[in-house]
Amino acid sequence: MFLTRSEYDRGVNTFSPEGRLFQVEYAIEAIKLGSTAIGICTSEGVVLAVEKRITSTLMESTTIEKIVEIDKHIGCAVSGLMADSRTMIDRARMECQNHWFVYNERMTVESCAQAVSNLAIQFGDSDDDGAAMSRPFGVAILLAGIDENGPQLFHMDPSGTFVEFDAKAIGSGSEGAQQSLQEMYHRSMTLTEATTAALTILKQVMEEKLNSTNVEVMTMTPDKLFHMFTKDQVEEALKKVTSLEHTKGDVSTHSQSEVVSTDS
Amino acid sequence: MTAEVNSYYPDYATETPKQFQFSPYADNGGSVVAIAGDDFVIIGADSRLSTGFAIYTRDQNKLFSLSKSTVLGCSGCWCDALTLTRILSARMQMYEQEHNKVMATPAVAQMLSTMLYYKRFFPYYVSNILAGLDTDGKGCVYSYDPIGHCEKATYKAGGSAGALLQPLLDNQIGLKNMQNVTPAPLTLEKALALLKDVFISAAERDIYTGDKVNINIITKDGIKEDTFELRKD
Repeated sequence: MFLTRSEYDRGVNTFSPEGRLFQVEYAIEAIKLGSTAIGICTSEGVVLAVEKRITSTLMESTTIEKIVEIDKHIGCAVSGLMADSRTMIDRARMECQNHWFVYNERMTVESCAQAVSNLAIQFGDSDDDGAAMSRPFGVAILLAGIDENGPQLFHMDPSGTFVEFDAKAIGSGSEGAQQSLQEMYHRSMTLTEATTAALTILKQVMEEKLNSTNVEVMTMTPDKLFHMFTKDQVEEALKKVTSLEHTKGDVSTHSQSEVVSTDS
Repeated sequence: MTAEVNSYYPDYATETPKQFQFSPYADNGGSVVAIAGDDFVIIGADSRLSTGFAIYTRDQNKLFSLSKSTVLGCSGCWCDALTLTRILSARMQMYEQEHNKVMATPAVAQMLSTMLYYKRFFPYYVSNILAGLDTDGKGCVYSYDPIGHCEKATYKAGGSAGALLQPLLDNQIGLKNMQNVTPAPLTLEKALALLKDVFISAAERDIYTGDKVNINIITKDGIKEDTFELRKD
């Protein structure tokens, strides 16, 4: 495997003979080491839930910020290299404010994603005012927002590709989480159901035990827009997860099949 | 004292300092009037293009449609108006391609303001009036000064006869300083009749306004064009 990739996996400016950019692919691999983040889009709004890895009891957990506000109507969850994500968040915020300044309107979520994508694919570029970015960003982003087209969830990977999703998981637990989302998601979901679902799935894929200090939850609704859950609200939401677990334990196979049948 | 000063100069004729000045602006006149209703907006501009006592043409349309629901009326320095409107239509197209939607009238209004302000110290010498339907389909009018101050209104007169016409509109549409009047919603017919009337008045007194009025009627069905003859002296 490494034999075929030799020589062509160094530079970001060179395609391999098979037509691949290995550094970009490696960057996509890098986000699979990141903490899990889940986003679910419902007709009522969008919910984002992210795990925070508390590696030490001496760590101040509130200083880990994985969900941030881009604008009042756009929030985002990131996974991967946090330092890289700051640059992208900065750009997204700047673009949103600039759009408001010039057009006196909220930037659409898709336009915001496009703006961040433009930054994400600038690796390898060099021009008069700066040297080339040495590598792609090692970050995956979930953009949750509301505009004239209603609630939307966008996912973007290090290649700058962005796609709209009903529900999406990124990070280390993303494979399992995405599978669970596929089973649990349905179009008539309420936001509360979606929040519970996101936390339930997060609980399944997380290595540590889920509690109110190692998870961040945000909702994006038409009336409240960007709303970060307080510790109390997270605890409240977690109660629903545990109660759901209990009922599931009794009739686990039954309830599971029921969800699947309503989905199809 | 003058003799004392003169004694410093030679007694033969000397070259006096000469001043040369370049004036980058021209005033080509023209008036624009826009009136908004609940589900329509009309905008009219006279078609005379002049300089001083001379007329360049009697048939110059000063209305620029930027989208299916937005029209800009420009008067003042015509070359500046041409440049401004060309940049505007380019920006409209760029916005449409970038954001996959047609720019709404309030967005155009804000963009025009920033565009004008970006030339704060070498302004476009243009009096702009923007008319269009907002995202709810309601008629709206925005007026500007040359450096980007923007004001939303329901009716506005601008250009060479702007100061002449605004009080007339204030009286007839704003019902200002009137007693025993009940405000009623403005109909399209009433607005059109008023627009024609005020232009007739302007053509009587303002030498930079006359010949013809180009009128754009903007409704949810699109833009309808109309013309109306004015006195040509």
